[in-house]
Amino acid sequence: MNYLDTITRMNLHEKYLLTSKQIPDFISFLKTQGAVYAAQKKGEQSYSYQYVEDPANVVLDYPRTIQPLKKFFLPPREELLSFDYQNNSYQKTDVVAEKRIFFGIHSYEMQGVLRLDYSFKKGNPEGNYLNRRENCIFIGVSYEPDEFHLANALGIEVENTEGLSIYLEPVREGYIAFVIDEAGQNLIQGFGKTAKVTETIHIKEKPAKAKIRYHYNRLPKVFEHVYTSQVWGQIAKKCLGCGTCNLLCSTCYCFDVRDEVSLDLQSGTRERFWDGCMLNRFAEVAGNENFRDELSSRTRHRLHRKFKYLTEESGALHCVGCGRCSKYCPAKINLGTTINALIDDFTEQQKLKEAY
Amino acid sequence: MEATTIQKQELYYPLMSEIIQVDHLTRTEKRFIISLPDGQSLGHKPGQFVELSVFGFGEAPISISSSPTKTGQFDLTIRATGRLTDKMHHLKTGNLVGIRGPFGNGFDVSLLKGKDMLFVCGGIGLAPLKSLIDYTLARRSDFGRIIIVYGTKNPSEILYPSEIKVWQERPDVEFHMTVDRPDVNWEGKVGVITTLIPPLDLVVERTVAAVVGPPVMYKFVLMALKAKRLPDENIYMSLERRMKCGVGKCGHCQINHTYVCQDGPVFHYPDIKRLEEAI
Amino acid sequence: MSKPKVAFFDFTSCEGCQLNKLNFENDFLDMLEHVDIVEFREAMDDKADEYDIAFIEGSISTPTCIERIHDIRRRAKVLVALGQCACSGGVNAMKNLHQPDWVREEVYGNEKYRFPSIPAQPVSAVVKVDYEVRGCPMSAPEYLHIFKSLVMGRKPEIFDHAVCVECKLKENECVLDKGMFCLGPVTRAGCEAICPGNGQYCTGCRGPISNLNLEGAVEMLREHGFSETEARKRLHLFSANELV
Repeated sequence: MNYLDTITRMNLHEKYLLTSKQIPDFISFLKTQGAVYAAQKKGEQSYSYQYVEDPANVVLDYPRTIQPLKKFFLPPREELLSFDYQNNSYQKTDVVAEKRIFFGIHSYEMQGVLRLDYSFKKGNPEGNYLNRRENCIFIGVSYEPDEFHLANALGIEVENTEGLSIYLEPVREGYIAFVIDEAGQNLIQGFGKTAKVTETIHIKEKPAKAKIRYHYNRLPKVFEHVYTSQVWGQIAKKCLGCGTCNLLCSTCYCFDVRDEVSLDLQSGTRERFWDGCMLNRFAEVAGNENFRDELSSRTRHRLHRKFKYLTEESGALHCVGCGRCSKYCPAKINLGTTINALIDDFTEQQKLKEAY
Repeated sequence: MEATTIQKQELYYPLMSEIIQVDHLTRTEKRFIISLPDGQSLGHKPGQFVELSVFGFGEAPISISSSPTKTGQFDLTIRATGRLTDKMHHLKTGNLVGIRGPFGNGFDVSLLKGKDMLFVCGGIGLAPLKSLIDYTLARRSDFGRIIIVYGTKNPSEILYPSEIKVWQERPDVEFHMTVDRPDVNWEGKVGVITTLIPPLDLVVERTVAAVVGPPVMYKFVLMALKAKRLPDENIYMSLERRMKCGVGKCGHCQINHTYVCQDGPVFHYPDIKRLEEAI
Repeated sequence: MSKPKVAFFDFTSCEGCQLNKLNFENDFLDMLEHVDIVEFREAMDDKADEYDIAFIEGSISTPTCIERIHDIRRRAKVLVALGQCACSGGVNAMKNLHQPDWVREEVYGNEKYRFPSIPAQPVSAVVKVDYEVRGCPMSAPEYLHIFKSLVMGRKPEIFDHAVCVECKLKENECVLDKGMFCLGPVTRAGCEAICPGNGQYCTGCRGPISNLNLEGAVEMLREHGFSETEARKRLHLFSANELV
């Protein structure tokens, strides 16, 4: 990837200067245009996308949030319908498509949403997801990749603007707002207090810390040949099967559905929850038989979904390199290391093939 | 995003439908005859399933055990083994249940026309196959021989005794049955289902086998069919997974890249024989 | 429909589970309208009748416990183990890791012969247990779910995934990440991650998930700076019987 190309491409967009002082004003303006969500501090050292009450709490320089943006479109716990337990009847639960502005998200986060869009549009397009997804505007921000971010290695550069309306790049005085689409243009103009920038902005290169040994477009090929790799068994030795990698994944969307009844036994709700293929009961069938009993086969399934199954269908990798599975894995299993081990296995196989 | 151009669907709302008849089949199985509101037909294909729910007890995939040629109502044969199915066994005629579907691919009956049909049914596997058996019997002249091979653990688990009696008596149906563990009154064959296959006199080129049974059965039935030189292309089977949503989203039924609820539950054997985790 | 008869019995425990019940009494009041409580803490000397649901708190740790639990089982249609002592032996089972004589000497000194004692066992080691409400103290959400399910005539849904799942659903900050000890990755969920959700670490009080990777868990804790000895000790705190 040539960084000069990125600079050229980005400078084709209209640019405005948002000074550091103007950022809270801009957020306040955004709040007049829709419900604004942004990364805010959660706990001592973590971040979470939350509704913005006070623009002062918005964080623009953060490594990643705990949950990805999917929580807004596929909530961790979602009521599908409510029922009258005594009379055996139900009411549909409305999905309100409020206008929402997501402020200060990273490019891989946006890509994660685009992957989910694919998954929920294909086959039977799901109203619940797609209704929530409507009327959303995304304002991106640059970030410094840390040792867990694989996005760059997977072809999603920091300045990837697909899906965004505005992209923010930090400069000395504040941020340069690159206007990406019409919605972004309307917001900048509506705010009206920013100065247009005409000179070329030399965007600083943000080098990736995590590397993959192959170009990302060779990964589906690698995954065609590593189904029986010993790497899966090696990971299973460390893996605790806690499911953190599934739940926090930007593109995982598997779910479970449960009915719960109120304590007075009058009413109840049918709810869906995030679920994951790493968890014990996920692949269970009648008679408690489990057709993916081993942690090794579960990890294999999880990663084949990211790099092969959905990729073959959609043409895009379904890992966006957010780094959550590595960063939050209690056993410190690192996705980059895993992929490199699989690549090594694959190259070894190829060498053997050539030798014969 | 171009969501406006997409027909968004309300996928998870059931249609409240009435139980119009309950038949006690065995100690653990009952047949429920269900009618959708306003007499509408389910419009299913043999081999498809519905998502059945009772509020408070959840939802589960249940295969349809009646032929689409029977309109205005459909049958579900249910073994009491879980939260929902136990509850079903407490429901009575007139009770309402939630129905979504039909889902899955079902058998492509156009490919079966003119063929000799061999049904291999293990235990409760007869329930999903019954939709196809009934279909072939309703369109009897469209098919060649109809051979039904049925095995259960013991005589008390035999489903549909009255239908079986009819099949046994019909000259145009070849019916073979065996039990694993006979009781004192049992006069029929004893042994596992695979013992019924070697004696069959099949014209393999025009025979299509439809196989459904418990997971352990498939491997042995496939071996027995192979020994009869039945080509893999002539074998179909239906797989059981816990299809939670039925619409290819929830992920529970996924085997490698295949969603059983979308690409199955009926599979052409050549398509899945190299699919690990399938059988 | 007549109301189900419900009884509660104590075995070897601190009675903290009973106490915990009072913490969610308000939620519980609605539920109580649907049942008849026929025994609460009483010994069964009146040869009371039968129970639809018997809740058992505490572990089996004396010879008389065995007789009593058999008697309860005979009268109970459904038997539910309440709290970690009843489900796995709980903290009581730590004594099983030592010589029984030494344990009795340590606790009762010269009087030890007056207190016959056997290794602390879960209720399920003696009689059939239908359902378990794990936790020390027992987890309120799971208790209410099981109670309600039994009243409805429904099989309860018991999780077999880790506390991590509940933390992630709630987007709790990871306490391991903050340098705290935590057994959430291998401990059975159902508590709604109440401890990590309040800035505490998971002590593993609900016992391990069914596919526990024990060596992996020890290794994980070492990676986070805890010694193997400490890791194993803490893993054994509530699960001595399960991890032997």
